[in-house]
Amino acid sequence: MHAGERLALIGENGAGKSTLMNVLYGLCAPDSGEVRVNGASVALRSPRDAMAYGIGMVHQHFMLVPTFTVAENVVLGREPTRRGLLDWDAACAQVKAAAEPFGFTLDPCARVEDLSVGSQQKVEIVKAVHRGAKLLILDEPTAVLTPQERDELFRVTRTFCDRGHSVIFIGHKLEEILGFADRVAVMRRGKLVAQVKAAEASAQSLSALMVGAAPPAAAPLASAAAQGPRAGSEARPMLELDGVHARGRHGLWALNGVTLQVRPGELVGIAGVDGNGQTELAEVITGLRPWEKGTLSLGDLRFSSLTPSVTRAHGVAHIPEDRHARAMVGAMTVEENLALGQQREAPFARGPWVDASGRRARAEELVKRYDVRPPRTDLPMASLSGGNQQKVVLGRELSMAPRLLVAVQPTRGLDVAALTAIHARLLEARDAGAAVLLISLDLDEVLALSDRVYVLASGRVTLELPRGALDERRLGAAMLGTVAHA
Amino acid sequence: MLKRAFPSLASMVLALVLCFVAIGLTRVGFGSALSAYAQMFWGGFGDLPRFLRTGAGSALANPWGETATKGALLTLTGLSVGVAYAAGLFNIGAQGQLVVGALVAAVLGAQVRLPAPLHLPLCLLGAAGAGGLYGAFPAWLKLKRGVHEVLSTIMLNWMAVTLVENWLVPGPLRAITEGTQSRSGTEQILASAELPRLLGAASRLHLGFPLAALLAWGCWLWLYRTTHGFETRAVGLNPAAAETAGIPVGRRMGQAMALAGALAGLAGAVLVLGTEHQYPAILSAPYGFDGIAMAMLGQANPIGIGLVSLLFGALRAGGTRMQLLGVHKSFPELIQGIALLLVAARLLWERLGDRLFRRVL
Repeated sequence: MHAGERLALIGENGAGKSTLMNVLYGLCAPDSGEVRVNGASVALRSPRDAMAYGIGMVHQHFMLVPTFTVAENVVLGREPTRRGLLDWDAACAQVKAAAEPFGFTLDPCARVEDLSVGSQQKVEIVKAVHRGAKLLILDEPTAVLTPQERDELFRVTRTFCDRGHSVIFIGHKLEEILGFADRVAVMRRGKLVAQVKAAEASAQSLSALMVGAAPPAAAPLASAAAQGPRAGSEARPMLELDGVHARGRHGLWALNGVTLQVRPGELVGIAGVDGNGQTELAEVITGLRPWEKGTLSLGDLRFSSLTPSVTRAHGVAHIPEDRHARAMVGAMTVEENLALGQQREAPFARGPWVDASGRRARAEELVKRYDVRPPRTDLPMASLSGGNQQKVVLGRELSMAPRLLVAVQPTRGLDVAALTAIHARLLEARDAGAAVLLISLDLDEVLALSDRVYVLASGRVTLELPRGALDERRLGAAMLGTVAHA
Repeated sequence: MLKRAFPSLASMVLALVLCFVAIGLTRVGFGSALSAYAQMFWGGFGDLPRFLRTGAGSALANPWGETATKGALLTLTGLSVGVAYAAGLFNIGAQGQLVVGALVAAVLGAQVRLPAPLHLPLCLLGAAGAGGLYGAFPAWLKLKRGVHEVLSTIMLNWMAVTLVENWLVPGPLRAITEGTQSRSGTEQILASAELPRLLGAASRLHLGFPLAALLAWGCWLWLYRTTHGFETRAVGLNPAAAETAGIPVGRRMGQAMALAGALAGLAGAVLVLGTEHQYPAILSAPYGFDGIAMAMLGQANPIGIGLVSLLFGALRAGGTRMQLLGVHKSFPELIQGIALLLVAARLLWERLGDRLFRRVL
């Protein structure tokens, strides 16, 4: 690792990227081998040691106290004092000084919980810099950012490197990495398998290095989507929203009259920048959020209100956005999680009783069919990797033979292999005649899979394009809300 | 299974050892601690030496009866806390629910005239219903008004105790005095409402114990073998995921709290109908609060709660006999407190357990 260099570290889920970074940050100790900083071997026993050597880390999930202000978070652990009392003026000045070289302004008195995700990340970076970081480790920093925020982050890290410091960037999105890094290190099964100059690499070659075989091509997938049954426009919509208004978490309007249809055998994508009503739209359709104006129909039935049990009874399956919070019970076993949502139906139940043998048999079948690893049904769900947890969720939702599948960010944070598998399953569900609504912040994903795309901006549908007419630039403009209704 | 029970087992053993040392240091020596523990053991599990010496069945039956009586009360209140815990709620209110149940049982037992096969079930059901309502109320407050159940159940405890013991029992419900004889507490219950003794005069063992054991088994069946129990556990472990799966989260929480209240109310009924035969001026032991310890030591598993309750029932029954040697009878409660403190040190046991079981298994 050189001074002023930007290194990207890539690899599939479980390749050992995070473990390696935890070693660097002193969170776990190496069993053998050594870490050298500036040529000298060092023992990193705790994050404190790592910080002393100028290594700072920005975790994927931020380590901030939400109710503290920016300044309080930044100086936490090394607070400036004056006569034994905390000196907040000095703290604020220090925050301003640390943020200044990057050209962004942070209000030191703002509470962190009121900031956007992008700004919270900046607070993390400023915190690391304030602690004297010369090497910054960013763990999947772009997973939670909008494209604009991502560009801003890249600009900030470039400034950081121009001052002779270095950045290690852990990521999944290959195009992004190629645009950002000087050098790319590829890990597979705990080993460094290749190091290449970003200028000489392509997304295909990197992907091949990561999986160790021919890359799971995006092209056949796209053509599979193209060949899929083009749902006739005469088919009756499975899902129909007409002028639906709903309030978001803070009581403000999040949906301002959404009108859309999804027909059986059709995969409809919702594109948009994060926070434009996607979450609320999915919650309205799955019965988790009430709506106030407009109508919602499932098949032939028009509803004025819904609950999750009603939507499930009408064949609506749901892959929630936040897997840990909504899709699974971590402390229950894989088998129990597979029953969740269908716990009162065969083969999971017999009358009021849990059907233990039926459940076991169905669980074993699903675990095999969806290639869950390790292939055991008695492990706690929380002990599985993210990709395998998502396979369990997907297997459960698809096994109910849904008429409508609402998938929100189904591949977020997953590696290439798991992502490909999940994409294939979504198309399979569509080909089996289900209506599929895919809500994703990953535009590439929406473009690759959708038969039709709606763009959601500020809680309105601003553009609708069929597959043949998909145009990234028009979509981009609509996502930013710069075009009128299509 | 063994791994899950390990923290509780180790905590209880360690608490026994610590109290042994404490008795040894404060009394004449470890010899007296040993004989105190022996007294506690024979007093709780049956006086085997005396039985072998004299052949009197009561030497075994009498301690068993005491153990089972205390164990039944601890089981019921432990189940009350454990059932609420399974739905993700912390029921600190078992004591209040017990008081309400005990009062209803005492009133129905004394004032209603019915043949025994009807009278006893009526008293039990009445107590369970009253306790259930008293338990469902904090759940309703939580779901409708967002009041945290820990706060509301603590306050409802004091309301129940104050209303019952400061007003109803010494006031309107006080037993009518005859002649110069002054009596405290409510009217004695009728014989038809008493929990029948199972071993005749030899022991105070009554129907409360099999009832508690049956309910522990029933709660286990419900939680782990029915879809309703499965849904309740899902609500307790992750309410948002349960909601997404179409489970009515609020209803399951309310039902669990009502059941929790009913179990604590039954504990009150068993205390009145089995032991006290009236609502006394002041209810003797805070079994409702002991239930929290039983639920935690039993790892919120109904079978575990039953076993732990039986053990502490035995220690308490035997603890009375330690007094003969000048050792204070509150040592069993001290053992319980220390064990609870230790089992709460979850991280300690997880690390220790992991290391131990990696080597053994």
